[in-house]
Amino acid sequence: MESAAALVLEDVSKRFGRVQAVDHLSLQVEPGHLAGFLGPNGAGKSTTLYMIPRLVRPTHGRIRLFGVDIWKDYKKAIRSVGITVETPAFYEYLSGRKNLELAARLLDHVSPREIDEILERIGLAERQHDRVRVYSTGMKQRLGIGRAMLGRPRLLILDEPTNGMDPEGTHEMLSFLREEVRNDGLTIFISSHLMSEIEEFCDTVYVINRGHLVASGRVKELLKPHERIVRVTFQGKVPDRDFISRHEQIRNAKPVTADMMEITLAQDDSAWLNQCLLQAGFRVSAIAPKQKTLKEFFLSITGLRRAEVPSSINQPPSAQAGDKPHD
Amino acid sequence: MTSQFIPLLRNEVTKAARRKLSWFGIFAVGLACVIVYFIAGQLSSAATANAWGYVGFSMQIVFTDIGPIFIITFAAMLVAEETGAGTIRAALAAPVHRWELYLAKAVTGLFYMMVLSVAALLFSATLAKIHYHFGAVADSAGVVYGRSQATHELLVSYALSWIPLSALVMYGILISTIVRTPGAAVAVGISTLFVIEFTKHLAGLDPYIFTRYITYSWLNLQQLAQGMDYQWRPEVWKMIELSGVSAVVTFVAGLILFVRQDLNN
Repeated sequence: MESAAALVLEDVSKRFGRVQAVDHLSLQVEPGHLAGFLGPNGAGKSTTLYMIPRLVRPTHGRIRLFGVDIWKDYKKAIRSVGITVETPAFYEYLSGRKNLELAARLLDHVSPREIDEILERIGLAERQHDRVRVYSTGMKQRLGIGRAMLGRPRLLILDEPTNGMDPEGTHEMLSFLREEVRNDGLTIFISSHLMSEIEEFCDTVYVINRGHLVASGRVKELLKPHERIVRVTFQGKVPDRDFISRHEQIRNAKPVTADMMEITLAQDDSAWLNQCLLQAGFRVSAIAPKQKTLKEFFLSITGLRRAEVPSSINQPPSAQAGDKPHD
Repeated sequence: MTSQFIPLLRNEVTKAARRKLSWFGIFAVGLACVIVYFIAGQLSSAATANAWGYVGFSMQIVFTDIGPIFIITFAAMLVAEETGAGTIRAALAAPVHRWELYLAKAVTGLFYMMVLSVAALLFSATLAKIHYHFGAVADSAGVVYGRSQATHELLVSYALSWIPLSALVMYGILISTIVRTPGAAVAVGISTLFVIEFTKHLAGLDPYIFTRYITYSWLNLQQLAQGMDYQWRPEVWKMIELSGVSAVVTFVAGLILFVRQDLNN
């Protein structure tokens, strides 16, 4: 049982009336991985996550957690899993600690000391006795992660866990999760709109669009550098339109900065480009293949135009809500 | 795998004890008893006959409107409040079965109904003791009903009133399962209660469903207090059957809905 995949979705579908929210989705998250789950709004991410704790009943397919079918033995299957679906909700009239205590009652052997430790780790020890009503969105997110970590689960499923956190908080939280994966062998399945988060912290990524899995794999492999797009840094003058148009090998060229151009070649032949530029009298200080970003990869496989991309994808984390308490 | 019913019930009771609504209901019932105490003589001669009459009258007034409204409000919020706020998702993402959570909520609703009922009885009995005695019921010809018989009838009245109140609790939770926002669930619960009250005679259910029989047993106690020849009418058994059956049917319907429904936004 130990070697079983942490999470297996097998041909899972969900239909709400006329809407096919999830369509024959299959994926497998291996133990000890930090896996990202990406998709545009309405792609079926949340519906998929809702189906794991049986909040939504699939119309087809099977879901297994560490080898246990959730519809055959739910309690056994879910016992090793901590989940937050969408924005974590709490009893706002209770304190953060009391909320954790209520959740802990439903798990076996969660001691008050473990609650203390979790509050310390998520940085809420000092505010644990405040009512959740006065917590900021970021604090609630951290409390949600803390609640999911009660009972020392082997798999954490987190839905947009850094929504509402400031950049520093986001980085700290993801680094913390990364450490949990490294040190404790925890498996994390994390859904997010923020591509930079997934790109920086996840080992593997699953991309869903219109209910289908459209790509999956290790982030490094998916984001292999473009072979035919190079970024050339010049010393002095840069090539003009005439130069570009005279060479059929150059499909496209656009300035990136005053001394850098991004050049798309017909073939993977940066040596030819270097020679050509030198012969034309340009002083080239560097030629490097352009690194593909997860955003570009995402756009290319989901077929979304830039305007259709959820705003959070195009915004830097600093443009999002801060971590200030409401009180 | 052990049942999580007891931890879930503890959680529900903890939450109920921390909510203002729970305490406000008890306060409102107490206030109603005090108001009844001051106006009892003006409204009913039975109320001033003796302590039994006062208690019967006070409980009848309190459980005509205020008591049922607070009970149905509490019950209607049990599921809808958690569905609306999203806390139900966290509760069900734990190793618990949905039926366990629903059962815990139903028992909590019944428990609150009992607490409200006990509070009303204690308020009424305490106020009754100020002016009256819980002695034998007598007239000019002598003792009609002894103290122990009157006490027995009070307890029977009290126990009988719990049956339609339980039906009310189950009805409230059913509404709470269907209507997913707490405000709307309370509005639907209270309004349909009044609609049923006004229209149930059309279906021939007038004496048996909900509020009339919540107070009917107390009415009988008032008759006893006046030395009248009261009788537990045969309808009492029909009330027990219908209220009992409706409680079970609404509980099962709510449970099936809750277990089967998708709990996404």
